[in-house]
Amino acid sequence: MIKLLKLEYYKNLNYRPFKIFTALYFAILIALLFIGLVDFDLGGSKINLKEQGIYNFPDIWNFTTWIVAILKIFLGLIVVFSISEEFSNRMFKQNTIDGLSRKEFISSKLLTITIFTIVSTIIVFAITMFLGYQYSNTTESAKVFEEIFFIGNYFVKLFTFFCFLMFLSILLRKSVFVFLALFVFWIVEGILTAVETFTKVSGMQGPQRNEVLQNDFFITHLLPLESMSSLIPNPMMRLNILKMFGKYEFHYPTESMIACLVWCAIFIFGSYWILRKRDW
Amino acid sequence: MEKILSVKNLTKKFKRIAVNNISFDVEKGNVYGLLGPNGSGKSTTFGMLLSTINPTSGEWYWFGKKGTEPDTLKRIGAIIEQPNFYPYLSAETNLKIVAEIKGTPKHRIDEVLQIVGLLERKKDPFKTYSLGMKQRLAIASAMLNNPEVLILDEPTNGLDPEGIIQIRDIINNIAKQGITIIIASHLLDEIEKICSHVIVLKEGNSIYSGRVDEMTANNGYFELKADNNTLLLSALEELQWFNSVKQDGEIIKAQIRDDASISASALNQKLAEKGIFLSHLTKKKLSLETQFLELVKNTN
Repeated sequence: MIKLLKLEYYKNLNYRPFKIFTALYFAILIALLFIGLVDFDLGGSKINLKEQGIYNFPDIWNFTTWIVAILKIFLGLIVVFSISEEFSNRMFKQNTIDGLSRKEFISSKLLTITIFTIVSTIIVFAITMFLGYQYSNTTESAKVFEEIFFIGNYFVKLFTFFCFLMFLSILLRKSVFVFLALFVFWIVEGILTAVETFTKVSGMQGPQRNEVLQNDFFITHLLPLESMSSLIPNPMMRLNILKMFGKYEFHYPTESMIACLVWCAIFIFGSYWILRKRDW
Repeated sequence: MEKILSVKNLTKKFKRIAVNNISFDVEKGNVYGLLGPNGSGKSTTFGMLLSTINPTSGEWYWFGKKGTEPDTLKRIGAIIEQPNFYPYLSAETNLKIVAEIKGTPKHRIDEVLQIVGLLERKKDPFKTYSLGMKQRLAIASAMLNNPEVLILDEPTNGLDPEGIIQIRDIINNIAKQGITIIIASHLLDEIEKICSHVIVLKEGNSIYSGRVDEMTANNGYFELKADNNTLLLSALEELQWFNSVKQDGEIIKAQIRDDASISASALNQKLAEKGIFLSHLTKKKLSLETQFLELVKNTN
């Protein structure tokens, strides 16, 4: 464990893209969390997200985790760059010849991913607590901790995403191809989801349609990117629904959670399998 | 003799057969040459023995243990095709990574850098090194863990004459320490200067495995000279030890017969008995190149 940590430390410490993107990520992450304090000028009408109630417990958990999860692509870049670097410089081959097992190689990458995810989660948790206690209209502990599971969902969401990128990097070995594949994957998932949704609700109207959209089981929601995004739903929708109907019922995305964990396992073992099967 | 490596019926098929059913043994303390033209399967063989390529069939034993475990690799030092290092990291950090993987103490880093003469440049990024320096760093890296076996795949590829001499000196010094070396090259004079044993590959087939001097049944030849060469010529022809006796300028070349075994002193004595006194006598082996070509020709 210490050995793998040291390896990753030596490999990444002097790697410029690594340093730049890590610094950039954490800077933007922190800045973005305070976004609610800024007044937006949208076509004359001023919008202040704070006044919309995004910093209120328990909604704040949903808001902060959702907004910073967008930034995961920055860390994703680092994961993709540092892994594809191992292949473009034939370093995976050299590491293997020097006596690093495939298992150790995967573990060292997972270690980096886990550290990134933990640090990011802790920052989001700390700042959310700070903002909540500063600006929330209530600080009863029941309300504060009611939706704290979003932090856990955030952790799983990031971890699954990085595992996905690790898998693609090991499969394709070139960062350009990885991003291309990610983009294609995103489009294909979007199309599949649209097709399924359309076939399910075609011919339905109004409340019945909403009912199906809210409560029906969608197979496409189990796809990797979909399940990741279902872990933390868009908080703006939540605010809108709250405004329209006066109350908002949140269903804990159990299927998505299970799907994500299954995907993680598939990506990790898939990566291992590729490393074993391929000739280097 | 202790066996370091034993390869049995190793085969690798890509789209075509790269390595076809080869078997050989490597004994402790010898320097082995893996010989063959480009594309004859040398690198593929090394790849399989170093666990980067999955074999189609066959097996091998390192130090009597089947296959190649990560722990086995920690007793081996290897350089493959080209020096592989993280280009943006210094030589020192690159070797720290290797030391970490192999579980070698860090003080070895300066020691091996000293051996290959890179100690002064250890803080510089790898990408600023010349090809010769890169290759020397690769040797340093392979030497880091005091390996019992050293595998070198084309260690002098692409180097200038000076670089080739440097690398050859380093390898010779390593060989003197009694470390077993397996070296692949298509440069025959290279192998001839270093190796005691050879394994000859041709289109994936192993066509010879054994001592360099036993590669062909050829016993070599004598170069002789006397004041009266005509007398010498007829005397040699009478002896029946030679396939052919030819005069080449001032020198007479006598090819020893395959079934004859004769030393230079025995020949000298015999000729002296006949009243012929030599002014020049040397027994010569065929060059590896000649032997190799003969071998390849014979297996066609």
